[in-house]
Amino acid sequence: MRRITLLLLSIVLVSATAFAGGYQVRLQGNKQNGFGLVGTPLSWGASSMFYNPGALSFMKDKMHFEVGASAIMSNVSFQRTGSSVTEETDNPLGTPFYVYGAGKINEMITVGIAVYTPYGSSAKWQDDWSGKFLIQDISLKAIFIQPTISFNINDKFGIGAGFVYTTGGVEINKALNYGSNSTVNLDANASGMGYNLGLFYKASDKLSLGLNYRSRINMKVEGGDAKFTVPSSLNTLIPETNTFDTELPLPGNLDFGVAYQATDKLLIAFELDWVMWGTYDTLSFTFHENGDLLSSNNPREYKDTFIPRIGIQYDMMDNLQLRAGAYYDTSPTNSDYFTPETVSLNTFAYTLGLSYSPIDMLSIDLSFLQLFGQKSDMAYTPDNFEGTYQTITYIPGLGVSLRF
Amino acid sequence: MKIKFIYYIAILAFMASCKPDVNEFTPSNGSADFTTYVAVGNSLTAGYADGALYTSGQMYGWANLLGEQMTQVGGAEFVFPKVKSEFGVLPGKLKLGYSEDCLGATSLGPVPDVGELDPYTDHVDYAVNNVGVPGAKLGHLLFNGYGDPANLALGLANPYFVKFATTPTISVVEQALSISPTFFSLWIGNNDVLGFATSGGLSPITPLTGDVGIGFTETYATIVGALMSSAKGGVLANIPGVTSAAFFTTVPYNAIPITDQATLDFINAAYVPYNAAMEQMGQPYRINFEIGANAMVIFDADMPDPIPVTLKFRQITSDELVLMTIPQDSIKCAQWGSAVPIPSQYILTASEIAEVTNATNAFNDVIKATATVNGLAFVDFNSILVDAKTTGIVVDGITFTTTLVTGNLFSLDGIHLAPQGNALVANYFIDAINTTYNANIPHTVVSSYPGIEFP
Repeated sequence: MRRITLLLLSIVLVSATAFAGGYQVRLQGNKQNGFGLVGTPLSWGASSMFYNPGALSFMKDKMHFEVGASAIMSNVSFQRTGSSVTEETDNPLGTPFYVYGAGKINEMITVGIAVYTPYGSSAKWQDDWSGKFLIQDISLKAIFIQPTISFNINDKFGIGAGFVYTTGGVEINKALNYGSNSTVNLDANASGMGYNLGLFYKASDKLSLGLNYRSRINMKVEGGDAKFTVPSSLNTLIPETNTFDTELPLPGNLDFGVAYQATDKLLIAFELDWVMWGTYDTLSFTFHENGDLLSSNNPREYKDTFIPRIGIQYDMMDNLQLRAGAYYDTSPTNSDYFTPETVSLNTFAYTLGLSYSPIDMLSIDLSFLQLFGQKSDMAYTPDNFEGTYQTITYIPGLGVSLRF
Repeated sequence: MKIKFIYYIAILAFMASCKPDVNEFTPSNGSADFTTYVAVGNSLTAGYADGALYTSGQMYGWANLLGEQMTQVGGAEFVFPKVKSEFGVLPGKLKLGYSEDCLGATSLGPVPDVGELDPYTDHVDYAVNNVGVPGAKLGHLLFNGYGDPANLALGLANPYFVKFATTPTISVVEQALSISPTFFSLWIGNNDVLGFATSGGLSPITPLTGDVGIGFTETYATIVGALMSSAKGGVLANIPGVTSAAFFTTVPYNAIPITDQATLDFINAAYVPYNAAMEQMGQPYRINFEIGANAMVIFDADMPDPIPVTLKFRQITSDELVLMTIPQDSIKCAQWGSAVPIPSQYILTASEIAEVTNATNAFNDVIKATATVNGLAFVDFNSILVDAKTTGIVVDGITFTTTLVTGNLFSLDGIHLAPQGNALVANYFIDAINTTYNANIPHTVVSSYPGIEFP
C-alpha cells in the first residue's frame, strides 16, 4: 500500500491533452486501455466502478485495489488556410490517473470508492501563434470521487450505482489586441455532482452484457479570477483584476457492450458508447465588472457522438494476458465552430496491452494507445480562423492491481 | 519478460517519432513572373502611417508584405527606400498618447511623436522595388522633375521622391522601369480626389478627361501601358470613398454640446437677426440650438447668391463631414461651431461630398476597365472599406472597422493603414493576383503583425 501512496503523490498533473472526443478521457483502467477502452460488459474488478458499477458485485475477490496512470503525449499541427506556415502545439504531458478500492460486504453487496479523471484537456500553443487571440493555452482538470455500491441480484444480474462529486479547475490564457503583451488569464475552480448507474448481465459462462449511464455534470464556476494585462490607459475600461462566472458541461454517456469468451484463451468484446455532447452549446463568460464590454457568448454547438469499440484478449499463459483493440471516435465539434482550445478531430485509434502477474495477488497492467486525428479543414467562423488540423497522440499507461 | 519489455519500448520509440504533417500548401507563380516586383503608387504603397513615412511603417506596408510573400513564388528580395528614422522624413508623426485640452481636461488620442528625422536630403543610393511616393497624384508619376530638388521651392517636386530618385529628371514611372520589373502593382488616384477632400474642397479634383498628364483616363492608360512594356503582369487597386475613412468620420457633425439653459438662450438670441434675415430673403436656413448635441455652424461659400457673403454660414447637416484635423481646442474654447463658423477647409459639405463621390466612381470605372482590358488583377479596395464600415471584417479574431484606433484598420492619421490593416490588405492583393494568374502566393498571417500600441 505504501507504494501505491507514493505513486499517487507523484502524480501532480491531472490534465489530459485534447486527444479525442471533445475533452473526454476514457483512460480509467490499464486493462481496459489496452482492450479498445471496452469496459462495460466486463467484470474486471474495482475498475468496474467507472466502466459499469453493475459489474462490481461480480468481482471474484474479497478486496480489489487498482491504481494507475497514463501519459498522454500529443502533437497537434495546424496550417492556416492560404498560408504556407505550419504551427504546432507544445503540449504538456497529460496524466490522467485512477485509484479504485472495493470490497465485498457479503455475497450480494460490494462497495467501493473510485477516484478518477474522465475529463480533461490541455493545449499549449506558442504565445505568438496565429490563433493567439483565440487561445494561447488552456488546461482543464477534473477529479471525480465516486462512492459506489453494487448488488448481484442473482448469479446473472448485477446493478450498481455511484454518487459522483467532481472538483476541478480551468485555466485559460489568450492574447488581446491592445499592443504587445496584452493578455487575459482566467483561472477558476469548479465543482459539480452527478451519478453513475450500471447494469450487468451474465447471460452464460461465455457471454456477458453491460449497460452503463454516467450522468452529465455541470462544472460551475462562480467568481473565477480574471487577470487582464493591458496598457494602463485601458484600465478604466478593462480593470486589471476581475471575477467571472462560467459553466462547462461534462456530457452524459450511455454505453452498451457485449463480451464473448470465444475459446478458453480468447475473449472478444464490442461496445458502443453514446456521448451526449449535444449539451455543449455555448461557452459563456460573465464578468462582474464592466460585464457589458467583457462578457461573451461563444458558440460551440457540439453534437452527440457514437463510438464503436472492439477489444480482444488472449491468455498467453496463466499469468500473462495480451490485449489489442481499436475504436473510431467521431469529433463532437462543429466544423464552423471549431476552436483550437479543443482540437478534437475524427480519430482512429488502436490499443495494445498486457497484464502480467508475478505473484497471484498482483497484476501489472501495461497499455499503449496510438490515436490518429484525421486531417481536417476546420473553422471558427466568429473569429474567421480557419485551417487544417491534424493530431497524433501516443498514450503509454501503467497500472497495478492487488487482490486479496 | 525482459525481451518483451525491450520490444515494447522499441515500438514506442518508433511511434513517438511520427508527427502529424498538415502542410498542404504548394506555392506557385501560376502564369505570372514575380522575379522583379515593382510597387508604384502613393503613400499607401510607400507604407506611410501615423502621419509619417518611417522605418517600421515602411516594413509593415502592404507592398512590402506582398513583396516578402512573393519571395516564396520566385520573387527576388523586395527593396524599399528605407527611411532611417522611426519619426519620418518630415515632421508630423503621431502616436497614441495623452494630451491636455484648453479646459485642462486630459484625454487619450493621437498626439505628436517627435524625434530625430531622416531628412530627404540624405539620398537613397540603391535600386528600389517600392517607388510609392507619399502625396503623389496620378499626373505626378509621369512628371520629369518630380524628384528634382531644384523644384522643391516651386512646389513642383516631392521631397519623398527627391530622397530616392536616381536623377533629378527621372519620373516615377521611369524609376519603376529602371529595375526592369516583371510584375507591378499600381494603386494611385487617391490623392486626385483626397487632395480636394482633405483640404475641405480647396484643392481641385483631377479632371476625368484631358491630355496625358492632365485627364485621369488618358494618364492612367499611359502609365499602365508604360509599366506593361516591361512587366507582363500586374495588379491595380481602386480608390476608396472618402466617407469610409476615419479621417472624415471621427469628429461628429454635432460636436457642440449645450447643457444649460442660460448658454442656450444666449446663443439662440445671438442668431435671431440671422434667422430673421434668412426669412426675409425667403431662404430656408435657420440656426437653432437645443439642449444636447448640436450641429456645428460652418462657413459655406456655396450658399445661393441673394445671401450676402457676411451671412454665408449655416448649421452643418448630418450627412456632411468634419475633418479629423479640426482644432478641437477652437471648438471647446474659441466658440468654433457655435458663435464662430468653422472655416471650410475643415468641412466637406454635401455638394463637395457629391463631387468627390462622382470623381471616385468615375476614376474607379477607369481603373476597373483598364484591369479588364489588360487582363490585370484587380483589388476592389473601395468595397473592402465599405465592408469594414458596414459589417466589419474579422480575421484571426481581429475585427477591422473604419473607426479610429479601436477599428484596427487605420493608423492614427485616419487615412493610412496600421500594420494589421496592411497585412489584411496584402492578403486581398494576394487573392486578386492568385485568381487572375492562377498562382498560389501564401497569405500573410494578419495576427502576427502589431496592433495599435496603447500607452
